Amino acid sequence: MKDGYDVIIIGGGITGAGTARDCAMRGLKVLLIERNDIATGATGRNHGLLHSGARYAVTDRESAAECISENLILKRIARNCVEDTSGLFISLPEDDLGYQATFVEACKAAGIDARIIDPKEALAMEPSVNPSLTGAVVVPDGSVDPFRLCLANVIDAKARGADVLVYHEVVEVLRENGRVIGVRVLDKVHGDVKEYYGSVTVNAGGIWGHHIASLAGVNVGMFPAKGALLIFAHRVAKLVLNRCRKPANADILVPGDTVSIIGTTSTRIPYEECDDVRVTPDEVDLLLREGSLLSPSLSSTRILRAYAGVRPLVASGDDPSGRSISRGIVCIDHEQRDGLKDFITITGGKLMTYRLMAEQAADAVCARLGVSAKCTTAQTPLPGSEIGGLEETARKIWAVPTTVQKAAVGRAGSRASQIGLNSDEGQGIICECEEVSCGEIASAVDNLDVRTLTDLRRRTRFGMGTCQGELCGYRAAGVLAKKTGDAPAARRDLCDFMNERWKGMFPIAWGETLREAAFTQWVSKEVLGLEEDGI
Amino acid sequence: MRYDVVIIGGGLSALVCGTRLQRSGKSVLLVSSGQNAMHFSSGSFGFLGRLPDGSAPDDLIDSVINLPEVHPYRKIGPERLRTYAGQTIGFFESAGILLHGDPTHNSYRMTASGICKPAWLAMEDVSLFAPGETPSGGKALVVTLKGFTDFNVPFISSAFTKMGYACRCVEVEMEEIARLRKNPTEMRSVNIARVLEGQQALDRFISGVRGKLKDEDTVVLPQVFGLKDTSPLAAIRSRLPAHVHFVGTMIPSVPGIRSQMCLKSAFQAAGGTFLPGDTAVRAGFDSTGRVSSVYTANLGNTPLEAGEFILASGGLWGKGLEASYDSVKEPLFSLDVDSPRERKEWYDSDFFRRQAFTGFGVVTDESLRALKGGKTVSNLRVIGAECGGANPLEEGSGAGIAIMSAFMAADSILGRI
Repeated sequence: MKDGYDVIIIGGGITGAGTARDCAMRGLKVLLIERNDIATGATGRNHGLLHSGARYAVTDRESAAECISENLILKRIARNCVEDTSGLFISLPEDDLGYQATFVEACKAAGIDARIIDPKEALAMEPSVNPSLTGAVVVPDGSVDPFRLCLANVIDAKARGADVLVYHEVVEVLRENGRVIGVRVLDKVHGDVKEYYGSVTVNAGGIWGHHIASLAGVNVGMFPAKGALLIFAHRVAKLVLNRCRKPANADILVPGDTVSIIGTTSTRIPYEECDDVRVTPDEVDLLLREGSLLSPSLSSTRILRAYAGVRPLVASGDDPSGRSISRGIVCIDHEQRDGLKDFITITGGKLMTYRLMAEQAADAVCARLGVSAKCTTAQTPLPGSEIGGLEETARKIWAVPTTVQKAAVGRAGSRASQIGLNSDEGQGIICECEEVSCGEIASAVDNLDVRTLTDLRRRTRFGMGTCQGELCGYRAAGVLAKKTGDAPAARRDLCDFMNERWKGMFPIAWGETLREAAFTQWVSKEVLGLEEDGI
Repeated sequence: MRYDVVIIGGGLSALVCGTRLQRSGKSVLLVSSGQNAMHFSSGSFGFLGRLPDGSAPDDLIDSVINLPEVHPYRKIGPERLRTYAGQTIGFFESAGILLHGDPTHNSYRMTASGICKPAWLAMEDVSLFAPGETPSGGKALVVTLKGFTDFNVPFISSAFTKMGYACRCVEVEMEEIARLRKNPTEMRSVNIARVLEGQQALDRFISGVRGKLKDEDTVVLPQVFGLKDTSPLAAIRSRLPAHVHFVGTMIPSVPGIRSQMCLKSAFQAAGGTFLPGDTAVRAGFDSTGRVSSVYTANLGNTPLEAGEFILASGGLWGKGLEASYDSVKEPLFSLDVDSPRERKEWYDSDFFRRQAFTGFGVVTDESLRALKGGKTVSNLRVIGAECGGANPLEEGSGAGIAIMSAFMAADSILGRI
């Protein structure tokens, strides 16, 4: 359908995907447009922390209350995307233990279940925590896989009739008589320019929402705050570990799947750098130094990758780092603010509160369209999360699931029944580190808007393990080439994929990581001969 | 325990050097920690794939002059290199490994990604193409085994198509192979090669391919045949009514493992002692600075003593070097290492450009003796990837350096130099 969408949503991060789902659930005809792949911005570049809200309890009560409310909702509707690990806020000898009482008080006021425990009990719960801790508070923190969460929203939106365009960049916001009537987009794969029309347009571009707003002739001042993180190759801790102090650098360690993530830093960067953020050696040093204070074993654990994201904070005041800017949701109807009709910006907020952001945006859309349908996203499980826990879901699909089938359920939840894992061939392993099978890869290529190996990685976690694509990239490229029939393009894509993996490795290339890199160099250049011209 | 020579390492350079020494009457011990680069090789050897300016070398030996002076080839020198290059095919033949190719000029091999790269000498199951060769434009049947993802058929067939062949791709399905799939990580080249070592399985495979052949004059197969010896290759070639090309798979490499086993057998047949699964952990020096002994993880305080020592521990990748946060060290003897001081100079942010870290190695003198604190250790020679002054991956020179430096170190110990 080229004309007449009820709503066009710009931005395929978690906010846009959530808004698309919410609008589709309310019966609207939805178009979601993303300039790259889904979850390529801040959505895929954070801790993957399922906040309890405790981190903001003292400094930002409103965000804290939103977090705990959404935390409980996500544990219901996105069971296959979250892990209920629980978390500890620890005090170290250099921290003011007096802060603990303030912290617990603030948590209680925000509705967060926070319980002071004896440091010895904390060590028993989490043996990898710094043993010199002087205090500990248990909170309902957890972890969330943001790729999976974003994908589940996109899948559901599509199942409910939404159209999704990836690799389409909005180049113009079409206006007529003081209202936004649609967008002109560049198809980045084929190079064509097309126009799409919608009754309402939603700007869910995250940090890039600043640019989208400027295309519509209005201003949304963003504050790009870069955050750097490190991924460790093991699940060092079972629980989320935080420092019990005002939010600062590198004071959260989150276990996720088979890895652990330490972060973050917070540095204001120029808007132009948002598209290519790099982790600096100083940031690596800081993350290692501070991270080892949470869990000393980090200093001897292999680092898999370094990466950075840009927080879509809304500018206010003169805070140089952005640490004290509210993580509150900002939903702007530009008619009220700028006199521009049928254009809504949804920004600020957090991964944690994406659903609430989507609800507010969808409410605003419905108000403009005169649609009375209410939001039901808090009650309706996302695709994959309908049945229950991992074990239960796996056993419901296969009486005796294999390890590969179980791994697939861990990623796709109940959707695992539809991804070709019933045959031995479908279960053949492409990525050994993450146990991703041929069936899962082939199904993602067929059904989940995959254009590149990097897209495929975001859908399936292939290439995210210890070897960082060294062996599985080649195998997956074979599956992709078979589907597309374009082997030279698949080979170029494999080179891009290896380079994308390397980008996260070179900032931390020493020890085992450098040894692995030497091996990967050998396999790619000598065994596969990649990026060489043929006869 | 005392030997004439103790070699630390069990890969290509260690085995070649050890065999040459043992055959000349020295008693040699090899300490091998396990897998080495041969297991992950491409079934072919490179001597010098490209010159520092990126161009293709003509006469390989004459081209060595273009390399930096610290390069091991420059230390070995053109005369000896020409002699050694001429001896290489014969040496490997004596170990039961048939190599083909021109000892002084590159041919091309096809990689597992369907890309043609320069190659010097290759094993029987690696087809070599002459530079500029444009094949007949015949018809090729590209065959794989059902469920085998380590042989990228679309890449290989597109490469043969580019070479002028009309390609058809087929899968052979075999019950014996399907059984491997019950364990999803088992569909790898080596496991398949093990199954196809059985005569009946091989017969069924060959019949399977024959059944699929129509009018093709060429058959392209993955390198999954002949783990112990090359008899399956001969059987396939004699019984398929077409020209057969074997093309590489993702690692591990079946021809690589076979050649490693052949070299090891040759070393042992000559009377050498192979200490498998052990790692040299520390060394003793005498008062003159010569190495007196090496201790291993398994032997504890029992020293391995020798008059001459050779370090063939494979560089960074083989754990012959260790990179910490801010420095690169040779862990066993604390030798001088050739690496930039600043970590940001170890790598290039583009994966496919030259990486300095793939060229880290021990600093040696003119006769490949190790330097420690700037002084030559007179009875410790460094060979293969452990030897500094080169970037084997960048140059396509890994096997050539391994073999040439092994010959040179052996001859130097034997007093032939």
